[in-house]
Amino acid sequence: MWKWIQRQSSPKFFYQTCTNLTPWFFWPFIGFLVVGLYWSLVVSPADYQQGDGYRIIFVHVPSAILSMMVYAIMAIAGGIGLIWQIKMAEVVAKVSAPIGATFTIIALTSGAIWGKPMWGAWWVWDARLTSELILLFLYLAYMSLNSAFDNPRTAAKSSSILAIVGLVNLPIIHYSVKWWNTLHQGYSVGTGGLKDPDMQIALALMFVASIFLYVLLVVIKAKTEVLIREQNSRWVQDEVKGVTL
Amino acid sequence: MTIVEYFSFLPYGKYAFYVWLAYGVSAITVITLFISAKRDHKKALLSLKNKYSRS
Repeated sequence: MWKWIQRQSSPKFFYQTCTNLTPWFFWPFIGFLVVGLYWSLVVSPADYQQGDGYRIIFVHVPSAILSMMVYAIMAIAGGIGLIWQIKMAEVVAKVSAPIGATFTIIALTSGAIWGKPMWGAWWVWDARLTSELILLFLYLAYMSLNSAFDNPRTAAKSSSILAIVGLVNLPIIHYSVKWWNTLHQGYSVGTGGLKDPDMQIALALMFVASIFLYVLLVVIKAKTEVLIREQNSRWVQDEVKGVTL
Repeated sequence: MTIVEYFSFLPYGKYAFYVWLAYGVSAITVITLFISAKRDHKKALLSLKNKYSRS
């Protein structure tokens, strides 16, 4: 088992696995996205309170869940890198940050665009919105701390600690609609959430599409990161020479 | 005529502007991230190729 993990985490093997896996994430992403968009925009009925305006939920909720999930993955991968010194975990943590920040930006902007017709304001200093904005700042802090060091190992160490400390924010975001009396509506998933089965299917499809998108982007970005980190090793030279651009 | 009324000919009527704006902004953001990831990889390959050919 341990040997298997070590083999998986050797940079060369990791790079090749990423190359092989790319189409396995790209095509499911496209498939789930197309069906999910059809279900979101055509099949799902209008909401009894919010009319057709609620359809923003199908981009807003998956990206908001992903923004938190990616942060958790980033912190855990950073922790694995710290404890077991697995370099590829550091790579996964580092490349996850800009992707998670992008999901956070999508959640915040789609939420603002949804807030305008429903609340009459693009932005309010509500607990949910504020804690999600803090998540964006955590991502930005992680990225700038990571790029502040020349040595990638030192960079990974200090930024992983920041990521782990920032984990505190995740339960705050999740429970903010319960703990405080917020303008933001309650949970969309689970009891008291969406009740129409077509709406649930649409949300599930878009969520799965978002997961595939995340993994696809990790795979692409991790390859770049591995090439740069391992540029002095023999296999990278062979790899680069074999590519025709 | 406000911008919201202007776009009300699209599906979803009075919400059309907001719904399509949200979907549009999200699509552009994702596509930008995807293209930049691909471009970064190409750039890295190119610069390494140059580096190795010099040595």
